[in-house]
Amino acid sequence: MKDNLIAVVRSLIFVGLALILCALVFQFAGYNALTMLWAVADGAFLRSGAIEQSLRWALPLFITAVGVGISFRAGFFNIGAQGQFYVGAICAAFAAEAFKGGPAFLVIPALLISGMLGGALWALWPGLLRLRSGTDEVITTLMGNFMAGLLLVYVTSGPLKDPSGSGQQASSRPLDAAYRISDSLGLSPTIIAIAVAVGVLMWLLVNRTAFGVLASLAGRNGTMVEWQGARLWKLGLSSFLISGALAGLAGTIEFMGPNGRIASGFLPAHGFTAILIALVANLSVVGTAAAAVFFGGLASAALYLPIMAGLPAAAIDIINAAIALFITARSKLVDKVLRLGGRPS
Amino acid sequence: MNEIIIAILRSGTPLIYVTLAGVIAQRAGVWNLGLEGLMIIGACATIVGIMLTNSILAAILIAVFICVLASVLLWFVIDRLKANPIIAGLGLTGLGVGGTALAVQSIFGSQASVTAPFGLPKLGPAFGAYGVLSISVAAMPFVVFGMWVLLRRTRFGLRLAACGEHPFAARSVGANPSRMRLVALSIGGVLCAIGGAELAAGSLQFFAQGMTAGRGFMAFAAVIFGASHPVGATFAALFFAVVGALGIRAQLMFGDKIPHDLLQALPYLATVFGVWLSGKLRGGAKAASSFAELKDQ
Repeated sequence: MKDNLIAVVRSLIFVGLALILCALVFQFAGYNALTMLWAVADGAFLRSGAIEQSLRWALPLFITAVGVGISFRAGFFNIGAQGQFYVGAICAAFAAEAFKGGPAFLVIPALLISGMLGGALWALWPGLLRLRSGTDEVITTLMGNFMAGLLLVYVTSGPLKDPSGSGQQASSRPLDAAYRISDSLGLSPTIIAIAVAVGVLMWLLVNRTAFGVLASLAGRNGTMVEWQGARLWKLGLSSFLISGALAGLAGTIEFMGPNGRIASGFLPAHGFTAILIALVANLSVVGTAAAAVFFGGLASAALYLPIMAGLPAAAIDIINAAIALFITARSKLVDKVLRLGGRPS
Repeated sequence: MNEIIIAILRSGTPLIYVTLAGVIAQRAGVWNLGLEGLMIIGACATIVGIMLTNSILAAILIAVFICVLASVLLWFVIDRLKANPIIAGLGLTGLGVGGTALAVQSIFGSQASVTAPFGLPKLGPAFGAYGVLSISVAAMPFVVFGMWVLLRRTRFGLRLAACGEHPFAARSVGANPSRMRLVALSIGGVLCAIGGAELAAGSLQFFAQGMTAGRGFMAFAAVIFGASHPVGATFAALFFAVVGALGIRAQLMFGDKIPHDLLQALPYLATVFGVWLSGKLRGGAKAASSFAELKDQ
């Protein structure tokens, strides 16, 4: 418990450090840093209705981030959440075309499942390459993100193209209203239920099953797990597939919920933000939920800033980036300060 | 034919400079995913520098200064604070892309792109059809050669490689891996500044938000594809430029038969294939970093 507390404090210290760096950048770029940070807090949590908006962004991010956490836990640096998110949404969109006209209570689960399969598929090949031939997953998943982005451009301006769409951004034909799982505000009982189910299942998986324990051990010392008789490649591939499926599920929720269609290059920072959430939460499932609310707040503030406060949305990207810069840092100084709080060393 | 070669050199040169930055970092043992951010900072600083000082030399010096500063920040976070290089690099990229967007908005108001009155000096009519290329294109082969000499034929280069491959052994013969990484990342900062300058002020004369559009990541892919050898990585970057140029050609020639977006994915696919192949040939490449391993440090 004390270790957990220290991890939380450590995360908070580095997030604070990142915010100071942001304040410097804002000041340097000619904005008043305090005004900017206040506007961000206002847009994220303080103004009326802000919490609902933040939750709308937090839920899909939470689902992707839990998956990222599972693969990081097992020691695989799967940074391909963005690509898996896109391919999931693309598969769900194709499935929606195929099942058009079916009863909603059958079609909706079918779409969710095809999205998960799509995401898992996009994690399958880097997983196989990594576990069968030792090809580094950082590169393959990074390349996979770009390929998925191009695939999305192709699909939305080709096979799924909405002929009535404006020329500004290619997008798919809208999903039939009967199959939508939320209105365009994006917060509905269905989505909340899915997120809660994912959270509970993944918590049980990580903390209460042999798989979770072995996967965490495999991340720390793969050889040892192998010697104990576990199949490292099975563990690894499963963690790749789970993280891919969850990212795909998040993509499908964005498609079937708030967006109602897929557009080329939609939500380009989703995967990166999810990775940050997993890292800020130190890969714990409960922590991921808390961090997702924070980053969801930032995402909703990104929409609020330019319209309501007249400040550029890029401010949010900078905050995210600065947190990324520092979140994995392990400063001796910080450790020393924390140890004064009574950590057994 | 000339047209195609010019197009390839134009799109390839910025990529090659940034690739060389990635190569030197890679040899020092740093996976530099901040290349994208450094490149866009270089591009932005060059154009803004031209607008503010009216001098191309001053503009490039400003770009170099800021890129080196950003590289030192990356070094500080990775080396001193022991952050994970991949996440920190992605963070630097985000800082670059977001920071330049913010800077352009705050300096020039809400506009998506900034046009400068002039760009890098051109080669001039003495070079015939190739006279439209900028001097940094002509300098590129020499820089590649210089990089090869530096990395493969000097004491510094060999020590750098030793520091990257086995820091502990390097330390035992008196090298300082931490300082070597600082030097390597700083040289990389200079190269990224030039690459960014060539992108924004070589054949074009403007900066647009997010104008690097993944070129930095492509450069990183070229580093891996080229097995972090300066010449190999240069050819990998050139190959990506060729595929890009041919993709546009194919689009013009075959129209709708081959979807252009899918052709554009070829370089990425080639990288995956290349990394897989080099892993096979070397008998199972080792993974660069495991997150959990870093966590336990």
